Order: sequence, then C-alpha cells, then structure tokens
Amino acid sequence: MRNPAGWLLLTALSLLFFAFIYAPLLVIVGYSFNANPVNMMVWDGFTLDWYRGLFGLRDRTGDALSRAAYVESTDQLLAALRNSLIVAACTTAISTVIGTATAIALARHRFRLRRLYEGLMLMPMMMPDIVLGIGLLIFFVSLGMQLSLLTIIIGHCTFLTSYVFIVVQARIAGIDPALEEAAADLGASEWVTLRKVLLPQLAPGILGGALLAFVISMDDLVITYFIAGTGSTTLPVFIFGMIRRGVKPEINAIATLIILASVLIAALGLWLRSRRIDR
Amino acid sequence: MTAQVRGLRQDGAAGMAALLEIRGARRSFATPEGGRVTALDGVDLDVGANEFVTLLGPSGCGKTTLLRAISGFEALDAGTIRLDGQDVAPLPPFRRPVNTVFQSYALFGHMSVARNVGFALEVRGVPRAERDRAVAEALEKVGLAGFGARRPAQLSGGQRQRVALARALIARPRLLLLDEPLSALDRGLRQQMQIELKTLQHGLGIAFVFVTHDQEEALTMSDRIVVMRAGRVEQTGTPREIYRRPRTRFVAEFVGETNLFETVVERIEGSQARLRTPEGLAFTAPARGLAPGARATLVLRPADFSLGAAGAGIAGRVERAVYLGQDLHLLVRPEAGGPAIRVTVRDGAAAPEPGAKVSLVHDADAAHLLEEAE
Ligand SMILES: Nc1ncnc2c1ncn2[C@@H]1O[C@H](COP(=O)(O)OP(=O)(O)OP(=O)(O)O)[C@@H](O)[C@H]1O
Ligand SMILES: [Mg+2]
Repeated sequence: MRNPAGWLLLTALSLLFFAFIYAPLLVIVGYSFNANPVNMMVWDGFTLDWYRGLFGLRDRTGDALSRAAYVESTDQLLAALRNSLIVAACTTAISTVIGTATAIALARHRFRLRRLYEGLMLMPMMMPDIVLGIGLLIFFVSLGMQLSLLTIIIGHCTFLTSYVFIVVQARIAGIDPALEEAAADLGASEWVTLRKVLLPQLAPGILGGALLAFVISMDDLVITYFIAGTGSTTLPVFIFGMIRRGVKPEINAIATLIILASVLIAALGLWLRSRRIDR
Repeated sequence: MTAQVRGLRQDGAAGMAALLEIRGARRSFATPEGGRVTALDGVDLDVGANEFVTLLGPSGCGKTTLLRAISGFEALDAGTIRLDGQDVAPLPPFRRPVNTVFQSYALFGHMSVARNVGFALEVRGVPRAERDRAVAEALEKVGLAGFGARRPAQLSGGQRQRVALARALIARPRLLLLDEPLSALDRGLRQQMQIELKTLQHGLGIAFVFVTHDQEEALTMSDRIVVMRAGRVEQTGTPREIYRRPRTRFVAEFVGETNLFETVVERIEGSQARLRTPEGLAFTAPARGLAPGARATLVLRPADFSLGAAGAGIAGRVERAVYLGQDLHLLVRPEAGGPAIRVTVRDGAAAPEPGAKVSLVHDADAAHLLEEAE
C-alpha cells in the first residue's frame, strides 16, 4: 500500500463493518453467561445456569411449581429442536434431489418453454415469505390436510428447491460440456456419465445447495409459523413464542448454541470447499 | 466435382473397402440472428485402415462439425457415414467404435490420471487388475509412466495432451479423431508431439482423422490431406500433391507460401508451355494440354526460384531479405512491374542485401498450372 492514510481508512472501515455484523451476536453470547435473572443488561457474575436450565439440569431447589415449569419448557424446547431437525433433514434431501435434477435438465437439454420453466423455478425464492405462508396455509386447509410436520416439509420444499436449483445451476454453468461428451465418446451411457462424471463434478455445488437448504429450513420462521400445527412447533417458532411471553435468559443460551452450530456448519462447508480446490 | 472423385482413394476395385466412408454429408445450423449457416455442404471422404488423414482448412470451414458428425455428437441433415461398411446413423456416440482427442483435452478433473486413462475400460467393466495393467502400459507408451496418481491439474499442457491421447487409445479404436490436439502447445513440444503421434499411429495400425489449420503440421504428418473450404472439400491428395499440384488458387494460397502469376500461353514447345504475364515476365511450365492464347494461373513456390547470372531470367531488386537459419527469404520486385515475388534461397557467401539487383530463374519442371479457369 503506497498510501498510509488510505490503508488506515480501509482497515478502520473493515473493522467497523465486522463489528457492526458481529457485535449483536457477541452481546448475546456474553449475556448467556450473565447470572442476573431479572435484568440481563446488568452484569451479575458468570453462570452456566441458563444452559443447565435448557437441558433440565438446573438445580431443583426452587419451589415445585417453577421446577415443573422448567421441565415442561425444556421438554418443549427439545421437542421443537427435534422437529426442526426432522423437517430440515427431509426438506434438504427432497429439495436437493429435485433442485439438482432440474438444474441438470435445464442446462443440458433444449426444449420449448425452457426459459419459462426456469422462471417458474426461481419464482418461489422471490416471493415474500408472508405471501407464501398464507398461500400454503389456505392450500392445505382447502385440501383438508391436518397441519403437521408433513405440511411444514412440503411448504419448505416449495421454496428451498429454488435455492438448491440456483446454486447447482451456477456450478453446472462452469462445467465444460466436453467432459460429458468425452465420457460418451469413451463408451459411457448417459446414466454412467451422470454418475461418474457429472455428479462428481457438481458435488461441491450440490453440497453447497444442500447446506443452504438445511440452514434456511432450520431458520425459517414466517412461513413455518403459518403451517405448523400445535404438535409440530419448530425451534424458531418456539423461540418466537417464548420471546412474546418475555425475554428469558434461557433464550440467550439457546441463541448461543445455535450460533455455535451455525459456525460449525459454515466451517464444514468452507473446509469441504477448500479441499476441492486443493486437489 | 471430378477432381474430388479423382482425389479419393480408388481401392474399392481391389476389394478393400475404406474403414470410414462419408458420402454427401450436409449439416446446417440455425443462427441466433435468424439465418442459417451451412457447416457441411456435401462432403465426401474416405479413410482407409491405418491411414493418417488430415482435415485442413481455415477457421469455420466445418472441420469440427465433420468430426462431431463422425463421433455422433452432431446429426447430419443429409448424407451417410459408414464405418466398416455399416451405417452409424442409428448409433449414439457411446456405441460408436471411434474415440476422440478433444481440442480442450476434456480430462476429468476429479479423477487421477490413471483413472482418466482407464475410463473406457472401467465403463466396460474390465476387472481392476487387467485395467491397471493396461493403464500402466498406455501411460508408458505416451511417456508418462509414474504419473498415474496425479490429477490432470498437476500436469503441463503437453502432458495433459498425452493423457488425453492415452485415454482415447486404451480402448483400441479402429479410428481416432483428433481435433487440433496440438494447438495449445509451444513450437518445440508441438514438433516433438507431431513425431510421436505419427510413430504411434503407424505402430498401432489405427486410422487417424486429424484436424488442424496449420498447414505445416498437415504437410509433415499426413498420408493424405483433405483441404476444406466453406463446408466443402476443395482438394484431396498426398501432401506432395497438395503442395506441388494444387487444384485451385485457394489451395495454392492456403498450403505453403506461394507465388501466383496470371499468364497467357504464348506458344507450346514439345511438352513445355511458354507463358507471359501482362507485365511481360516470361515463364516456362509443363504444357498440360493447353493451347496458345489460353489463360492460365501459374504456381511457383519460393524455393522453385534461384538466383541466376545477370541478364538471365527475371530482373528485379531485393526489397526485403529475412535470414532464417540456413535459408534466406527474399522479396524481389521485378523491374518489369507486377507484384513482388517471394524467393527462398540457401544462405551463402553471395547473400544479396536489400536494394541489390538480382535475376531470378525458375525450375520449369516444378512450375504448376492451376486447373480452375480464372
Ligand atoms: N452449434 C452450432 N450452432 C450454430 N452454428 C454452428 C454450430 N457449430 C458450428 N457452427 C457454425 O458452423 C461453421 C463450421 O464450424 P466448425 O466448428 O465446424 O468450424 P471449424 O472448421 O472447426 O473451425 P475452427 O478451425 O475455427 O475450429 C461455423 O460457421 C460455425 O459458426
Ligand atoms: Mg474446430
């Protein structure tokens, strides 16, 4: 850098930028260890109570009523987490398969209305969540479907397929079609070419799309809020409900755990990507 | 058309059918602008077993399209392609007994070199041990023994090219198609690969159809050259025929450096024709049945000229002299006028400088008259 003042400005801007993004997260992490149960803005010493509470381990010295309340909310929390994981896993699997297949079909075959097809694939992503949520709710109700995990999975698939599609499509655009021709030239049928050449080449894109779908599914509140039944609360919906009843310190602990999980998933993604590039 | 037929190998009578037989191949494409381009406009081509045939022509003349039609990636609008006498039209690419070395090599980046090379055998379900043996042998043959564990990204351009070659050859195709495989290589490597390819082709007994737009490459490697122009075959013949007896002005100008003179036949003396250009330059060439007064285009290669004693031949002044190792390339402007003449002479003690007066004599036997009427 030839210009020290410019360099300083650039560094300061970058620092500010990252502070702006990460400060709220750090605040939450900090407060999750704050012992003050009433006002979490006031630091009252370090504690792991809220984490213990989440897992029903909080020392049971309190009165029977509050103890029962804790255990109940912990059970609900874990149930919500389990629901979220089930939904995210199913949704990821389904939308990854459909999104990938569609991306391949659109990239490798010419047919009429291809453009329209592509537009229709991308539309759900552009659609406001609230519209999608209401639409799905009315749709399920008019079909007479009970709101359940199944309706959440169907609902998530409608827009997550778009995300997988767009990620895989970007990857496929960078793959030389001559590779598939070379495979065919060497005697590989379309199926073998797909399995041995195209899919391995696409793998980073597919994985990226799947991770994205998983994370978005775990995170979705608005759409899920409309189509989750009473027995099928997901984690975001549960947390949202908790906050409406007042911000409890446990929420900070939940948020911190979620941040930790997200960082792990992101690190996994980055690691997989760097491994691809190395070889 | 007659010349095209004459250029083909007439071995049908001897009983041996050509390995590859293309008749009347046509293919046109719709362009985004709404028009149509004709990439193949009635191509006939025969390739014998173990023959090295080069498709030579300027960019866009249909060479790649023809190769893709043979390998099955492009369907013909009209015409037939026969391999071993069998029409291949109904066969998808993966069922055709033809392999290709792609211009971009198209190596599989996610596989090791060894797995790339063994791909054709893997697809056929050849057992592992046998495959490994064949791969080692193939890598050995292209001088890449010990490179099997690498990834294509870890190889140089020339090494990748050889992997592509080994991969295409491992299934022992009867016919190998090569689309400008050497165009990405530097000059030295390119010449080395030319020799290696030729040796390999000869040793394996495989027929090669080789695409290039480098005329020097075509001349040094081919058994036969097919000169293409705008979707048609302009001329077919041995490198010597193409170079020495081009049929058209296009072929004469495309293959090698050349001097063309528009001449009129003055008189016939035995088998020799005396010719004169409008500027008054006099030439002698094999008569080839021409009558006095006929117009003819004369082809003389730079090496067909030599420097004569003063007063003999064409008097001119050296405009430019380029020294190229043993040879000296001269551009000589005739005193009588007309376009400058390109001359190649051996470099010697009497090398003329720019501005020097020289007289050029030509080898009458090497002179060639174009068939086509201008
Ligand atoms: N898929 C296609 N769609 C439209 N036009 C095409 C297509 N493929 C080839 N063409 C056109 O057909 C003509 C012949 O193309 P081809 O690729 O066979 O040329 P080539 O002789 O291989 O040229 P080069 O030496 O530049 O590789 C060109 O005018 C090209 O623009
Ligand atoms: Mg080409």
